[in-house]
Amino acid sequence: MEDKLLEFIREEFLEDPDQEIDIDTKLISSGLIDSFSLVSLQSYIEQEFGKRIPAPRITAESFDSIRQMVEIIKQF
Amino acid sequence: MAYSIALQKRYRDILNDIQDQGLNKEEVQITGLQGAEIHIKSSDNSGEARKINMCSNNYLGLAAHPDILKAAHEALDRRGYGMASVRFICGTQDTHKELEQRMSTFLGTEDCILFSSCFDANAAVFETLMMEEDIMISDRLVHASIIDGMRLSRASHDTYKHSDMLHLEKKLQMYHDRHGKIIVTDGVFSMDGDIAKLQTIVDLAEKHNAMVFLDDSHATGFLGENGRGSHELCGVFGKIDLITTTFGKALGGASGGCVAGRKDLVELLRQRGRPYLFSNSLAPMMTITTLQALNLIEQDDSLRKKLKQNMQWWRKELVAAGFIVVPGESPIVPIMLYDAVLAQEFAKRLFAEGVHAVAFSFPVVPKNQARIRTQLSAAHNPEHLEIALAKFIKVGKELDILGKSKEELLSMHNK
Repeated sequence: MEDKLLEFIREEFLEDPDQEIDIDTKLISSGLIDSFSLVSLQSYIEQEFGKRIPAPRITAESFDSIRQMVEIIKQF
Repeated sequence: MAYSIALQKRYRDILNDIQDQGLNKEEVQITGLQGAEIHIKSSDNSGEARKINMCSNNYLGLAAHPDILKAAHEALDRRGYGMASVRFICGTQDTHKELEQRMSTFLGTEDCILFSSCFDANAAVFETLMMEEDIMISDRLVHASIIDGMRLSRASHDTYKHSDMLHLEKKLQMYHDRHGKIIVTDGVFSMDGDIAKLQTIVDLAEKHNAMVFLDDSHATGFLGENGRGSHELCGVFGKIDLITTTFGKALGGASGGCVAGRKDLVELLRQRGRPYLFSNSLAPMMTITTLQALNLIEQDDSLRKKLKQNMQWWRKELVAAGFIVVPGESPIVPIMLYDAVLAQEFAKRLFAEGVHAVAFSFPVVPKNQARIRTQLSAAHNPEHLEIALAKFIKVGKELDILGKSKEELLSMHNK
């Protein structure tokens, strides 16, 4: 799951192809991902993992790293 | 009165954070007319200094144009200062309707509705027109007012990478089953000065059954053969469903904005658009003077030509001097310094040399994309630009940045 999310985030969000990210990289608070783009992640998670995460659970704080995302996805 | 210690601390902490991050915005005080040369009050109030202005949105130089000032004076005498009403109670003069018709024709749409600002126009559009079952797909670099406007809507929202048409199409395919789809873009992006790929956007919209929304604030009045905007420049005039724009830039620079578009969409905004229904009618002086700005633009292309010449000269000379300039065709010309500290220092030294241009860094632009944004105006004469260029080169030499690559500029402060 981590690898798929990493690949999706690289493809979907990163403007700089040389940007290194891992599962603990701060994505939103660091400015790599605009918090307004989180809906893309929501759609991807639903399509790829079959989990519909309610919008209120997807916040700039709760989805700031891939590790955090995985923890939330596992709750559903 | 209950401004508790805890609340006082909350706001003070936020302000301190802004200060600590170097994000504090300070306002220079201009003591005369807006134009190519401005007089700025010194920070200790001891006097004022003349600066060449390289950062206004006064693209056609109409902010202090004699014909515009005359129209405004006459409008005050003929129609008074304000309407003291919203439009639908007793705030509509014939000139409001006349301006709506003129803007609609000028922009190539069926109808038009005025707002107090383009920010308000953008705040009205999405909440009123996009429903829960719809999707708004926006370029990632659209203006803050559009982002706020979309936040007010119950429709879903997704983004595509800046001007990446393959990514946009992927998103259109992804949301193919949505009832209403709208592609949302600026015409000219304010931080980079680049122009949206409107021809492709319109083609994709037709192919995928989506509407197109265009904020053309940084183009109306001067881009395209007749100055009608980026859609005219890109060959898609008459093919945009909704256009928002401002009267606060090229069209005189005072205030006000509008939404021009399909008849029923405009009518629904008139019935349901909250920023329209619940805020004051545009002052008569604004409507009449904006009509005069349109007269000037339609009768004479000399200001448009001068702006284009200025823009082309400025871009060419900066590149020749060794600056990294974001290429483009708009009068927004960003000079890339990448490093935020370097950009701030550059702007500070320029100001001391008599040139006013502002540095932008994160979070206004992405990290390591700091820049000095310059904006050309038809009010600039060759002498203004020659002096400004000499000062840019002087500061560039002092900071040893001319001819340097992005990597070299970024490494300067990390040594």
